[in-house]
Amino acid sequence: MSRPTPRPARPSTNRKDLSMDTALARPVSPAERGRAASARRSAGSLRRVGSVARNTFREAVRDRVLYNLVLFVLVLTGAAVFLGGLSAAQEAKIIVDMGLSAALLFGVFISIFVGVGLVYKEIERRTVYAIFAKPVGRGEFLLGKYLGLCLTLAVNVSVMGAGVSLALLYVNGGWHPLVLNIWPAVALIYVELLILVAVALLFSSFSSPALSALLTFFVFVIGHFSAELKGLSESFGSGGGRALFAALYYLLPNLSNYAYITAASHGRTPPAPVFAGSVVYGLAYIAVLLAASALVFKRRNFK
Amino acid sequence: MSPAVGTADRLASSRADSARRERARDALLLLVVAAGLAASFGLARWLDARRPQEDPYAAYEELYLKPETARRLSLSFNGLAADWYWLRSLQYVGRKALAHRGEFTLDDLRPLGLRNLGALLEQSTALDPQFMAAYDFGAVVLPSIDRDAAVRLVERGIRENPQEWRLYHHLGYIHWQAGRFQEASAAYEAGSRQPGAPAWMRAMAPQLKAQGGSRAVAREMYERMYEGSTDEQVRSLAVTRLAQLTSLEERDRIRRALSDFRARAGRCPADWREVAPLLRAVRLKLAADGAPLDPSDVPYALDAAACDVGLGQGSKIPKR
Repeated sequence: MSRPTPRPARPSTNRKDLSMDTALARPVSPAERGRAASARRSAGSLRRVGSVARNTFREAVRDRVLYNLVLFVLVLTGAAVFLGGLSAAQEAKIIVDMGLSAALLFGVFISIFVGVGLVYKEIERRTVYAIFAKPVGRGEFLLGKYLGLCLTLAVNVSVMGAGVSLALLYVNGGWHPLVLNIWPAVALIYVELLILVAVALLFSSFSSPALSALLTFFVFVIGHFSAELKGLSESFGSGGGRALFAALYYLLPNLSNYAYITAASHGRTPPAPVFAGSVVYGLAYIAVLLAASALVFKRRNFK
Repeated sequence: MSPAVGTADRLASSRADSARRERARDALLLLVVAAGLAASFGLARWLDARRPQEDPYAAYEELYLKPETARRLSLSFNGLAADWYWLRSLQYVGRKALAHRGEFTLDDLRPLGLRNLGALLEQSTALDPQFMAAYDFGAVVLPSIDRDAAVRLVERGIRENPQEWRLYHHLGYIHWQAGRFQEASAAYEAGSRQPGAPAWMRAMAPQLKAQGGSRAVAREMYERMYEGSTDEQVRSLAVTRLAQLTSLEERDRIRRALSDFRARAGRCPADWREVAPLLRAVRLKLAADGAPLDPSDVPYALDAAACDVGLGQGSKIPKR
């Protein structure tokens, strides 16, 4: 039996093949090779960060972090049903105040208590050894953990915002401008929580969970007293006191930039430049905190 | 019986004993919890019954913190804290109203003894300076209790919200009630310059200056209060006061009719039937027996001896 003779390879008409042929034919410069390697590295890094973030989110769901939504729904339902007769026609304002304050409060608890355990739990359970045995950098690990909790908070805050909007529709028996007007305030609450998670992550990268939780809580409180710090600084004529309080004012996050709950309950939204400025300020502050966390974490000895 | 079987029985019996003891301990602990709760409930009731009762709401109406301190400590939860004080204000008035057995109107709550209402509303508005409902309520309710506190509350509202014409209207109303027509006129004048202020604000200023104590101004004031408020109680108060003004005008017309009758007959009418044609001529609403009806549809009372008219039994028109 004669064996079929192999056909001679036909020249490729496919564009991709052509380009590959050309690429193979053409000598590649070292700069181009460097750029391609860098792109591959970036894609790989993003994939690894994404994996850590996904797993952090799954872990938060497994740990029943989102169960707080049930409590939130109960609070809002109670407010919507019982406040009608008690508030003298102020149900809408009180629902917004209560709903958004609860969203902030629950968010602060999640940011602090889950945030400080993000790194510590992995070290305690010694899973960091398994993670770092793989090609995952410490910075990538930290960023992934951070983004995972941010995703959890995004789900939490948006469900709570939707809950407040639905409660408003219920108490008004239909449309009310506040249903939409609360959303800029919801977005600012989310940015505030992102800052707090970054603060918690920074503290937890070098201290115990209890101390980290306490310090993060202090930052949350002092962050809302920023105006007082500035006032204190200005009350000193000159010298060390003035410099100290001014330094504290600029060093600590000014969380009063995100306090729009009361304004939202009156249907007022922050002006667009103020809103954008607050978001950018938050992102810049988060970048600083994450970079500092990565610097500390890189030098940490797990033995 | 082999020694091995004996040991197993002893072991089983010992385990059963241990389980029994464990259950007994659990039962004892549950008993302690239940008995402790029952004892604390009983003791709390016993202590409550023996506590000296000066004012049942004294503790309720106390302020925990100064307004400014509360604002600083509230972080970004100041709106929620303001709502809390607002609800406390309403509950405070409600409880006092339920405890009080006599009559009162929303703009004269003196009989209720609301000594801390001003402070509660001040707290609420210090925490949330844009809380208009608290200013609206304070402007109507506070003047009869503490006029200075009412003026302070509304003036602070104006400082915090200088473009809210309604607050100038409230300030004008408080001054008008106190008979300070110049100040009332100045408040309306200032309010009329704010964006979105209705045209009647400008018209009120000279009217108050020229004839501040007249019924026409009072009618205008309560009509504007009715139109401008979303609070059902405030609107109801405005309706009551407008009915009172109508009744005062009706009583003036009845007195004129009685005076005409006396001039013609040389005596006062013995009953309403005698004067009914005169009352019909001045377009008063009459009952079947010829008695004129007040705005709450209750017949006016005829004082045949004094040749005068008064509000009838069961009338809903306020006497003052």
